Amino acid sequence: MSPQIIEMLRQRRIVVCVGCGGVGKTTTSAALGIAAARLGQRTLVLTIDPAKRLADALGLDRLGSEPTRLSHSIHERASVAAPGELSAMMLDMKHTFDGLVERFAKTDAERERILRNPIYEHVSDALAGSAEYSAMEKVFELSESDAFDLIILDTPPSQHALDFLEAPARLMAFLESSIVQLLLHPAFAAGRTGFRWFQRGAARVLQTLEKLSGVGFLEDISEFLLAFEGMSEGFQERAREVQELLFGAETGFVLAAGPGPEASAQATSLLTRLDATGARLEGVILNRVLLWPGEAPDFDLLAGPGQKALAHALGANPRGDDAAAAAISLMRDFAAGVARDAQASLGLAEHASRAGAFLRRIPEFDRDIADLDGLAVMADLLVEAEAQWP
Amino acid sequence: MLSQSLPSLTRRRLVVVTGKGGTGKSSVTAALGLAAAREGRRVLLVETGRDEVLPRLLGSERAVGYAGRELQPGLTVMRMDPYEALAEYLTLQLGLRRLVRGVLGNKGFRQLLDASPGWRELITLGKIWHLEQQLGPGGGPLFDLIVVDAPATGHGLTLLDVPRVVVAAVRAGPLRVNAERVESMLRDPVATVLLPVALPEELPARETAELVSSVRHGIGIPVDRVIVNGMPAPPFPKGLEDLDGMLEALPPDALIPGLQDPAVLARCAHHVGERHALADEFLGSIGAWTGLPTVPLPLLSGGVHGIADVESLARVLVPKVGAAAT
Repeated sequence: MSPQIIEMLRQRRIVVCVGCGGVGKTTTSAALGIAAARLGQRTLVLTIDPAKRLADALGLDRLGSEPTRLSHSIHERASVAAPGELSAMMLDMKHTFDGLVERFAKTDAERERILRNPIYEHVSDALAGSAEYSAMEKVFELSESDAFDLIILDTPPSQHALDFLEAPARLMAFLESSIVQLLLHPAFAAGRTGFRWFQRGAARVLQTLEKLSGVGFLEDISEFLLAFEGMSEGFQERAREVQELLFGAETGFVLAAGPGPEASAQATSLLTRLDATGARLEGVILNRVLLWPGEAPDFDLLAGPGQKALAHALGANPRGDDAAAAAISLMRDFAAGVARDAQASLGLAEHASRAGAFLRRIPEFDRDIADLDGLAVMADLLVEAEAQWP
Repeated sequence: MLSQSLPSLTRRRLVVVTGKGGTGKSSVTAALGLAAAREGRRVLLVETGRDEVLPRLLGSERAVGYAGRELQPGLTVMRMDPYEALAEYLTLQLGLRRLVRGVLGNKGFRQLLDASPGWRELITLGKIWHLEQQLGPGGGPLFDLIVVDAPATGHGLTLLDVPRVVVAAVRAGPLRVNAERVESMLRDPVATVLLPVALPEELPARETAELVSSVRHGIGIPVDRVIVNGMPAPPFPKGLEDLDGMLEALPPDALIPGLQDPAVLARCAHHVGERHALADEFLGSIGAWTGLPTVPLPLLSGGVHGIADVESLARVLVPKVGAAAT
């Protein structure tokens, strides 16, 4: 048993799974969910954009943006028994952001003004990483309910994988920024005596942007911000709470990483940035690592007497000789792959041990994990002491 | 897909390389640039990410920055910086360099910019359009070929979609005119092509199919092939295609010095064979789902690290892209 990962699944209320794109983040989140549910936790896996076969495996294709308890047969096949429970949901980020506007708007008219603003759609996509913010917002909402012991968050596949961590702070900074205030209260700013050089310059640049962008563009922006300002208090308060939750004692972070030198380098740089945010790193899960399926060969022996014996066993004929040579060359390539992945993971292992975090190596399977049985095997591997060939 | 001859990528004016993070977009960008430069074309590679990757791939340890630098004969690399491009553009429009720098350096203005949608994409494309229009000393174009290593987020689709959105949303004025110019550059079926890079794995294969479908139904930038990067070599040598079966048939008690458990042989062979079959399967799926020819590039076992690796990709990429595909 690996006590550290089990302790995490038992004690945290939120586990955030981060990682660069294409490293099996969603698969890792789902397998962690199964492992937690087997420990008796009522677990929710909140995923963003799962591969189709994985979504099918979890029955996610039929889910809306509310948590749904997975079917009885899925619980059985994944060996999850009461009191453990497994729910999943797919996050629709646009929908979540609309929901925020609806909640914080003070009047119906204000809400309509925002939702109908021509630039709202684009702004809500880009505003201060709102997609990422929406994910955090949903987690906060769900964490306030008693329905789940543990929420596992599969983070959005963004280029800058940690944007969402900064999203609440960025949203606050944006709403408080002087330029937004200037746009909101141009008359006030212009009327002040000794109004600052910056504002004069900014106003000039804004005028130029207006000229370049044609009529109405800045008007739309100002109107949007004005409408938004009414809600900004609610937003800011919420952003603060979300941030407290993220960096508090109830939340732990798990980094999912891919094998090989490039993926490991990306993961290491992500870890460094994660450290800087003050997030608590609980563990690193290294996916698709090439491992020996059994005892590694002794190449000195294998290439000498071993090759003769192998050729003999494969048929004492020229084809047997060729096959023995080919098999040994294949084993050498395999060994090189194993060594490459092991070497690449050294930095991550060191980083994890310095942070007091666990490191799990999940071997590369013959086929990619794309169904419930694969996830169940991965859940086994996650809590085992040593990674085994499946 | 039927085997057919595809127009050479190196003869285009603008190639936008796109794909999910980790598919090897930058390696393909570097390989295409190198191949074209070796053909005597004057090439500009445009890096759009936060960190510079291309210089290292092309034999330079030093960053190139926004100003760019020639890293190989005929091959210049620059890093697109939307703030620099905006400063350049506003300075052109306002003529007040210090004012523009001061305002753009202001924290509050930065925050507004950081939160504002669309301008990065538009200014990036505007700069690329400007570079495409630039003339060299001889009166011909300064660059024959511009290759853009597009951002991974949303497959770089946001980047390409912005001019269309602006043309639809803005009624008149210089912004609209600029956006129209950029849009017609992107849609030019002779000069421009979008080059998606995929991996022979499920997620990248599906996302590439979605990418191609949304390009066809929306942005309208020409796309004529998909690069499938990281194709593993056939696992077993010629004449021994059944090597995994032969190894599986070994008696479990065979005494082979150096091997405690002879079954390891069969398991390794089976694993390598399965991974190869899976890659083949997804190579086929990418062709079927996109309806486009696929161009496989070999998996380099050590990764792509420097100019030697890029050269070996370039050798495969260019004869292949000129001739035929699967």
